[in-house]
Amino acid sequence: MQNSASAEVTVTYEVVHTTRYTYSEAVSVSHHVARVKPRVFAGQACLRHELQIEPVPAVMRSHQDYFGNAVTFFIVEGAHKTLTVRAVSTVKVGGRSLPVFVHTPPWEEACDYDALPLDAIDCLFESASIAVHDTVAGYAHPSFPPGRPLLEAVADLIHRIHADFTFDPQATTVATSLRDVVTMRRGVCQDFARLGIACLRSQGLAARYVSGYLETLPPPGEPRLAGVDASHAWLAIYCPGLGWVDVDPTNNMFPSTTHVTLAWGRDYVDVSPVRGVILGGGQHSLQVSVDVLRA
Amino acid sequence: MSAPIAPEFRGPAVPWRLLEDYRPPAGIYDEVSGPGARPHAHCETLVRSLERLGRHELSSRWEAAKRAIRDNGVTYNVYGDPQGVDRPWTLDMMPLLIEPGEWSRIEGALLQRSRLLNTILADLYGPQRLLREGWLPPSLVLANPSFLRPCHGVRVPNDVYVHLLAVDLARSPDSQWRVLADRAQAPSGAGYALENRIVLSRSLPEAFRDCHVQRLGAFYRAHRDGLTALAPANRRDHPRVVLLTPGPLNETYFEHAYLARYLGFTLVEGADLTVRDSRVFIKTLEGLRQVDVILRRLDDSFCDPLELRPDSALGVAGLMEAVRAGHVTVANALGSGLVEGAAVAAFLPALCRHLLGEELLLSPARSWWCGHPDDLQYVLAHLDELVIKPSFPPATRQPVFGRVLSAEQKGALRSALRARPEDYVAQTEVALSTAPVWNGQGSEPRQLVLRVYVAAAGESMAVMPGGLTRVGAASDIPIVTMQRGGGSKDTWVVSEGPVTAVSLLAPTRLSVRRERLDAELPSRVADNLFWLGRHIERAEQTARLLRSLVTYVTREDMSEGTPELVALLHVLVEMGMIPPQLRESMGLPALEHQLSLLFTIDTYPVVLRTNLSEVRRIASTVRDRLSHDTWRILNQLQQDFHLRHGRIQLDDVLVHLNRMITDLAAFSGMEMESMTRGHGWLFLDIGRRIERSLAATRLVRSALGAHPSHIAMLEPMLEVADSSMTYRRRYFAEAQLAPVLDLVMADVTNPRALAFQLAAMAALVAQLPRHPKAPSPTREERTIVHAIEALASADFDALSQPGADEAFDRLTDLLDLLDADLRGVSDTITLHYFSHAEQRVS
Repeated sequence: MQNSASAEVTVTYEVVHTTRYTYSEAVSVSHHVARVKPRVFAGQACLRHELQIEPVPAVMRSHQDYFGNAVTFFIVEGAHKTLTVRAVSTVKVGGRSLPVFVHTPPWEEACDYDALPLDAIDCLFESASIAVHDTVAGYAHPSFPPGRPLLEAVADLIHRIHADFTFDPQATTVATSLRDVVTMRRGVCQDFARLGIACLRSQGLAARYVSGYLETLPPPGEPRLAGVDASHAWLAIYCPGLGWVDVDPTNNMFPSTTHVTLAWGRDYVDVSPVRGVILGGGQHSLQVSVDVLRA
Repeated sequence: MSAPIAPEFRGPAVPWRLLEDYRPPAGIYDEVSGPGARPHAHCETLVRSLERLGRHELSSRWEAAKRAIRDNGVTYNVYGDPQGVDRPWTLDMMPLLIEPGEWSRIEGALLQRSRLLNTILADLYGPQRLLREGWLPPSLVLANPSFLRPCHGVRVPNDVYVHLLAVDLARSPDSQWRVLADRAQAPSGAGYALENRIVLSRSLPEAFRDCHVQRLGAFYRAHRDGLTALAPANRRDHPRVVLLTPGPLNETYFEHAYLARYLGFTLVEGADLTVRDSRVFIKTLEGLRQVDVILRRLDDSFCDPLELRPDSALGVAGLMEAVRAGHVTVANALGSGLVEGAAVAAFLPALCRHLLGEELLLSPARSWWCGHPDDLQYVLAHLDELVIKPSFPPATRQPVFGRVLSAEQKGALRSALRARPEDYVAQTEVALSTAPVWNGQGSEPRQLVLRVYVAAAGESMAVMPGGLTRVGAASDIPIVTMQRGGGSKDTWVVSEGPVTAVSLLAPTRLSVRRERLDAELPSRVADNLFWLGRHIERAEQTARLLRSLVTYVTREDMSEGTPELVALLHVLVEMGMIPPQLRESMGLPALEHQLSLLFTIDTYPVVLRTNLSEVRRIASTVRDRLSHDTWRILNQLQQDFHLRHGRIQLDDVLVHLNRMITDLAAFSGMEMESMTRGHGWLFLDIGRRIERSLAATRLVRSALGAHPSHIAMLEPMLEVADSSMTYRRRYFAEAQLAPVLDLVMADVTNPRALAFQLAAMAALVAQLPRHPKAPSPTREERTIVHAIEALASADFDALSQPGADEAFDRLTDLLDLLDADLRGVSDTITLHYFSHAEQRVS
């Protein structure tokens, strides 16, 4: 188990996140929403952010969604066969200190709904791509014996996911069901995040989905992490007294300065970085590239 | 019992009693029959009035009413019905009567409920104090799939979310009305209620007058004006309101088209709208036109594939953003489905006290939300007495009656309740009241549910003085839904004195609006009208050719080898109208038999069947553009198409084909005489003329293929082109190829001739709206001129001489050229005007 950096350390990153659609036939008009601006919260500051879209949109408007993420809506008019959405950001990430796990409260205490804030209650139930059924409840169960300290139980759960599942970008798509992920024991960071969330929710715990990035080149002597070449995903658990604690099942760690947070919500569909509806276009293909370098 | 009296002595002194054989079940409330089996006081007038009509007259008016409903095409689509969609609407002869005192209580309760639900929605999509302060359990909202997070924080005009609220009421045995369900996002039935009123007030004018029934017109006007007033201030002079429908397959599509027409709004589907610059526009032939208000009949999560359900193909991408920007108002507001579920209803009494400081006037049946542990325990222990309902929409999930479950089913229900308690609400069962339903001879008791409506009208609200009463399919089924069969009643709120007559007909201002709307034809509608014209014409051509064939076969002087028959069989096979094996020599009786088989209901000539079902399908997509009379003709056409099972004589077939040809002629008559010459008509007529022209070239080509017996085809060709009389008058002679071709192709004075169609098309195309940058003449105009010139310069005497190899090469070349031009015109029109039909992917 890695638990990196102390609270005083901060790291500044330059992030370039490019999403490029290529269409076999011209698209006459397209509507998109993008969630590619890094969030600002106690552990993170966004020093600079620029959104470059090619072709230049006819309309671009921004607002905050229900979860507080920055959303940009844009329309591209006039025939186009490619669309490039490039987000360039400078982000300062602070280290986070965690309590010793055995000193966290028994996990059952986090199931007391009356004590939970609304944003935690929001993350207790099934959501669009996170079904909570016997399969995931059964998988989660061994990590949650009665009275076990919450973060110890969570650490055990993600340790098991990390050990039992193989990182395999070919095995799944965004449409793969959790049941299939559990059967195949394969997937990518999105699948492991969804699985971790479903396991926690199956025990009555509040867990949310977090999208973001990983540092591309690790400091000398440290291993390169999985999932760095695209946007990354992990989860956060609501812990009474501590608030939300980030957990990365793909890398079996509690993130600190290595993870840049973009957005959070109940589910992948709440935070998908770029989503669109196009008219025309025929076949389309999507390329995503992410560079996260220390400034 | 008195001794029998001979009928002639009975006379009018012993009148027929409407309720004499009526036996409502004991222990529940009956809406008409009161204590001692006497009518309730407020029903006396109705009962006496119906008795004065007599059993016979009542039945015959009932038949007439049913016919009117069928002719008007009032339908209700039943999902998964093997008989297809479009089930006729059922309306009972006896209205539900509500007395004035009771109605004013319902009215007050509706006004209160509308205020309450709007206040709740404004909080849940805003500050959420109800959740933070513990008035509503947070999970009841946050676990609810109808809570649409993108709608949170979006302001709506006047904080009104629910512009039209429907409430389903049931009367319990203590004669109190109780709420069964709220319909807060896109309530249906207001259009059926109106149609019910129109039909029943015409069927029972005496009773309608004597009962002093309150009129509905003012309610619809208030509803319309309320919606129109939602337009932004700077556009209030010319607001554009559309009614967004999921399309003709939706269960209540009839009413979408009906209400759009009645209220004067344009009926649109999602693909007709587009979001640009965070505003909503309708795609018309003349370009984009901004939309101010959308009255939606689409469930809210389907309204925007970008921000709501990504798999929705029915919505408008970006609609949510346009709403957020305040440039369009959606009614009811997106997200208002949240207050529909049984769970919210269970908390309304407390919320009403908290938010409005009032007691809730219409209380639901006593309810337990299983998300509370105490309530769950109670429900588990009392399953037998309770109805278990899903907490959250969709409301289509049916309630479960605990008392009818087996021990095993109860066990399964208990586990389900324990696994997801927040998903369930239990209520005490309401024993629905009954009312007599006329069955043709007498009346029988049926359970009923009354749906009432309240509309926002600017600062105030308007209650519909009436509603839609639905009755169960059979008296022992405790669930009343149109999806499960059952029927409806008109609902009469009676008053003490005479009522001021308010015409239900649209005021003049509405008809002026329709003129303007026609200029803004959505391109999808233009496309559909174009193809309606083509299919109607194709049906007529097919029916005429089949009629020629049947006529020849049944002629007395006909024998198997008669050249006309050989030629006709050849042509019909060539044109794909009959199966090829009929061309085989089989002897006349066998041919007759085979032909009549073709016309039995299951194997009706495939071409004509497909054709007529396309006519039906397309017509239903443009229903709001067709007059009632036109619609009646189309209904008649469908009925005339269906032959009965059993032995069918060719003579019967002839009768049916004749009727169909008359129906089709009637449709053309309506089109020519009654349709305003807007863009819609242009496309319908262009479609028809292109099809007629193509049919002419195909017919001549197939006839030439029958060479050397092509001469025999000339008579049928004249008949199909409806030109026999003209030919006789002009030539007094047996048909010859050159003059026949001249008459059916080149003669610009013959309305059936190809040249006439081309000239008409040129005139029609010239009136089409065009892009400012389009070349002049346009491509379609140039193509038509090309065809006209080719035809005008053709020498039919020369062309009618077979060439050296006995083939009509030059004539065939001309036909090829004309055919290519006609298809070219069709394609360019499609490209220029209907190119909205691009695929949606994401």
